[in-house]
Amino acid sequence: MSTSTPSSPPLAESLPASSQGWQKLTRLIEPIALLVPSGVWLLLLLVAPTLLILELSFIPGFRLGQSAGDYGIGNYLEIFQPIYFQVILRSVLFAIGCTVTCMLLGFPVAYWIAVMAPSRWRNLLLVAFVLPLWTSSLLRAYAWITILRPSGSLNSLLSALHLPSQEWLNQTPAVYIGMAYSFLPYMVLILYASLEKLDKRLLEAASDLGATPQQTFWKVTVPQTLPGIAAGGLLVFITSLGEFVVPELLGGASSMTISRLIYNQFLGATRNWGLGSSFSILMITGVSIAIALLLKYGDRDSALSG
Amino acid sequence: MSSNQHHGFDGECDRLPLAHLAPDHLAPHLPLPRFSAARRRFLKTSAAIASGFVLSNCARNLSNVNLGSGDSPSPTSNAGVAKNPASGKLYIYTWANYTDDELIKGFQEKTGIQVVADPFDSNETMMAKMQAGGGTAYSIIYPSDYTVIDMVEAGMLTPLDHSRLQGLDTLRPKWQNPVYDRGNAHSIPAVWGTTGLIYDPQKVGKEIDGWSYIWDNRKSLTRQITLIDDVREVMGATLRTLGYSYNTTSPDQIKKAYSKLVQIKPTIASFLTTGWEDQLASGDVTVSMAYSQDAIKLIEEKPNLKYVVPKTGSSVWTDTMVIPKSAPNPDAAYAWMNYLLQPDIAAGLVQRLRTATANQAAFDLLPPETQKDDRLFPTEAMLSKCEGVAPVPARIAEVYDQYWTRLTSS
Amino acid sequence: MSQTVIRDYSVSGTDTRLDVELRKVFKVYDGETAVRGIDLDIHQGEFFSILGPSGCGKTTTLRMIAGFEDPSGGEVMIRGKSMLGVPPYKRPVNTVFQSYALFGHLTVWDNVAFSLRLKSCGNTELRERVGDALQLVKMSDFARRFPAQLSGGQQQRVALARALVNHPTVLLLDEPLGALDLKLRKEMQVELSNLHHELGLTFVMVTHDQEEALSLSDRIAVMNNGKIEQIGTPSEIYEHPKTAFVADFIGDTNLLKGQIESIYAETLQIVTDSGLHIVAKPKTLWNGADSSSSNSSSSNSSSSNLSGSHASEAFVSIRPEKVHLELSPPADSISSRNCYAGKLKHVMYLGTHVSYQVELATGDRIAVLQPNRSSLMDLGTSVYVYWAAEDCLALAPQE
Repeated sequence: MSTSTPSSPPLAESLPASSQGWQKLTRLIEPIALLVPSGVWLLLLLVAPTLLILELSFIPGFRLGQSAGDYGIGNYLEIFQPIYFQVILRSVLFAIGCTVTCMLLGFPVAYWIAVMAPSRWRNLLLVAFVLPLWTSSLLRAYAWITILRPSGSLNSLLSALHLPSQEWLNQTPAVYIGMAYSFLPYMVLILYASLEKLDKRLLEAASDLGATPQQTFWKVTVPQTLPGIAAGGLLVFITSLGEFVVPELLGGASSMTISRLIYNQFLGATRNWGLGSSFSILMITGVSIAIALLLKYGDRDSALSG
Repeated sequence: MSSNQHHGFDGECDRLPLAHLAPDHLAPHLPLPRFSAARRRFLKTSAAIASGFVLSNCARNLSNVNLGSGDSPSPTSNAGVAKNPASGKLYIYTWANYTDDELIKGFQEKTGIQVVADPFDSNETMMAKMQAGGGTAYSIIYPSDYTVIDMVEAGMLTPLDHSRLQGLDTLRPKWQNPVYDRGNAHSIPAVWGTTGLIYDPQKVGKEIDGWSYIWDNRKSLTRQITLIDDVREVMGATLRTLGYSYNTTSPDQIKKAYSKLVQIKPTIASFLTTGWEDQLASGDVTVSMAYSQDAIKLIEEKPNLKYVVPKTGSSVWTDTMVIPKSAPNPDAAYAWMNYLLQPDIAAGLVQRLRTATANQAAFDLLPPETQKDDRLFPTEAMLSKCEGVAPVPARIAEVYDQYWTRLTSS
Repeated sequence: MSQTVIRDYSVSGTDTRLDVELRKVFKVYDGETAVRGIDLDIHQGEFFSILGPSGCGKTTTLRMIAGFEDPSGGEVMIRGKSMLGVPPYKRPVNTVFQSYALFGHLTVWDNVAFSLRLKSCGNTELRERVGDALQLVKMSDFARRFPAQLSGGQQQRVALARALVNHPTVLLLDEPLGALDLKLRKEMQVELSNLHHELGLTFVMVTHDQEEALSLSDRIAVMNNGKIEQIGTPSEIYEHPKTAFVADFIGDTNLLKGQIESIYAETLQIVTDSGLHIVAKPKTLWNGADSSSSNSSSSNSSSSNLSGSHASEAFVSIRPEKVHLELSPPADSISSRNCYAGKLKHVMYLGTHVSYQVELATGDRIAVLQPNRSSLMDLGTSVYVYWAAEDCLALAPQE
């Protein structure tokens, strides 16, 4: 454990050779050294857990605290039972519905902020729209319960207007409302970023060439912001696919989603971590494919416009 | 091929000895998330995140986690130390509303031991944390009855040295030799209660006396009831109305229960273990299935509501105190148990926290109106129809789970 | 700059009917007046340029014709019809944008076909017209490319084809060649000019490049500060600028500020502020008094009752290429009327020409442009500069 520094070679003679070697070494080490922090981070927090889940998914019936059995694909075979298929389908439908709702609500808002609102108001408007993101998603869901429940604000309003009160809570539409509200800010932010980059002269050019505002929108604005639309749509789709707080709280008795199913496998009745892991892997795979498609799509587009 | 095929065999072998004691008390872990406050949801969410982290901490050998490692002191080796005054800090891992400042202060005054109580929201979360090695600081844990079985099976618990405990003999007979832990070998009961229905008699227009009310009135109850978000409680209640055991292991009976449940599906607004209180109080729903503990709490605020243990029987549950093998301060843990076994202390807790005690001596100290409160202390006649939710074998647990998934996704 | 070949375009080729009329058009943005009441008549078939420095309101004027901006006051008419409240997509004009504004998500073909598809033009006709338009700008081979795969000049051509395919009444060009390098710009100038001849359309071009305006246009409107300073043919604008601004902005000039001492017949005697005595005999009359802009000048133009004490302010403008530069003063007395001694202070070799700066005894610097004929003179050489009184312009001061 000697702490003495190794004696350095005579500087003058060895300088050319050693400095050359040093340079070579630096050139070799530098990129690696620069990559190390993010690489370690990625390895520890992303790759390792994912590999672990992948491994667990190949151990049928794996349960915490019990000796693990042999590897097999039993978990994956089990996924394809009709009941699970139904759950997956519902999750996907929830996610699609949420994405479409966010798109329909988010685009006009983002368009308005990015294109029509006076530029000095833009940041303020954006912040106002993103503000809900700073609250807990749980609080937002509870807020919607307060609004939508039979004795809630919405029905109070209806009865004040002498309209018959409606059942909103504990049904699928409530899930769409709650999820869309949760993810709308993301959609607006991404669409805003895309629309803000939109060359306004293209809109003038379209108008000049005889396109009505509607034609301009569909033939220029939408295609030009397609990467943003795709990115926003995918982000909302992926996040809403993983959402289970809102369906759970607002969706009533028939709100089992794939996320909740996974949760149940890990922390619920059966504690079948193996099956839960295989559902997780299924989800990770699906989401990865979607992202890969987006990247490919996005690349093509940026190559064309850049 | 299903996942339980592989699992079943050696699992059953392991548990054979226990099976003799209580045929229904086989195998694994069932959820009993309990007790109120909206905060519980936050905990649940963070637990989900935490469990993700747990995952990243341990690989395949998760399954071989051995909490009873050699360096952890055994009760016998501790016998000598026991005479020394217990000192230091006591970390306890418990349900959110089982302790209060007065209890902790009183304990510290008497023993000089500082108590730090961390809450958990479900047995499964607690188990996951303990098995992943994240709970080594705790010397006292409050698992529910069926979880005690799991923990004993996993070798996580220190057998209790009854010579170091005073007042075990004052426990009610029912808890002298409970099915989940014969002879209280590893646990002592802390709090118990029932599962039942809570409703507004004025709104309903009559007294509800059983589960059958929901089936009889299912046409007019569309989205008017909430059920506990727990497969075994909901299926158990239905099994009970059919005359079967809460803990049946017959797939056929489970299937019949499922078919019966489907009939009232339209009446179920939501499955909520917590969060139903507000909806019931505001009249958004008419009837809620709830744990007695939560129901009594709400009735204190809304005296117009009524809690009933269904006449066909329901579940009775016990939350216990145990000492994990990894406990760093077992002396303090014994001191804590002894403190809570004192009748005056246990009676005080009942008065303050409205939790039911299994301690007969403490019960005797309570004012008559509390003693007669059959929500808190159901009569023996009522209790005789109730069962504790007990673990079922993994493959049966999966049957339950699949029907549950079907029910909540149809 | 000044070697520009001035095409003395006659207006004969243009129709006398008007395609675009602007009547007292104003434009105010957020309290800032961009256009201050301009009147403009653009004839059918004319190549009309609006020339001016940046911020003079020329682009705003074009945008009001195209319909992207509504005038704050006044009226824009196209083919006699008021365009009040008519949106761009209903106007019979098409624009070539400064940045081309090609649709990046569409191929060249689809860009050009854009307007025809909106009109649900028949397939055969569409193919024919897009094909013709691309052929016109020599871009047929690039039909399937995307704009990002084209050079600036090629994008420019596509933008032209896209605007022309629609057969507009008027083609508007907003700084169409501004983004191109010099060589390409020259080429495109020729092509624009050819296109104009071939198609016989009315072109209205906005540019800040006076050379481009001079070489391409039938007529030019010079704008400054939201107003039109002068409208005329390129030669009129260049040879007979009406204001000091125009003289200064169009080509290089030596602009000297001074006072009119006397006016006799068509000859003006002017003393510059620095003390130079200049005789000017402009072909156009001194317009100081009758210029529409009210200025301090109280003198009247052709009368000689101007007293020396009550002098009127004026600018004298002499184009550098009209200045002679010699080592000795000229022999004839006519030439020697505006002859001054000075020293060479700056020499710039321009290839075909040489640009000199001569500092006079008064401190004035006179720019001289000479064809590159003789050998270069050295810095510091004592020289004489002189010019004919006829080459001298006397201009009213700017507001």
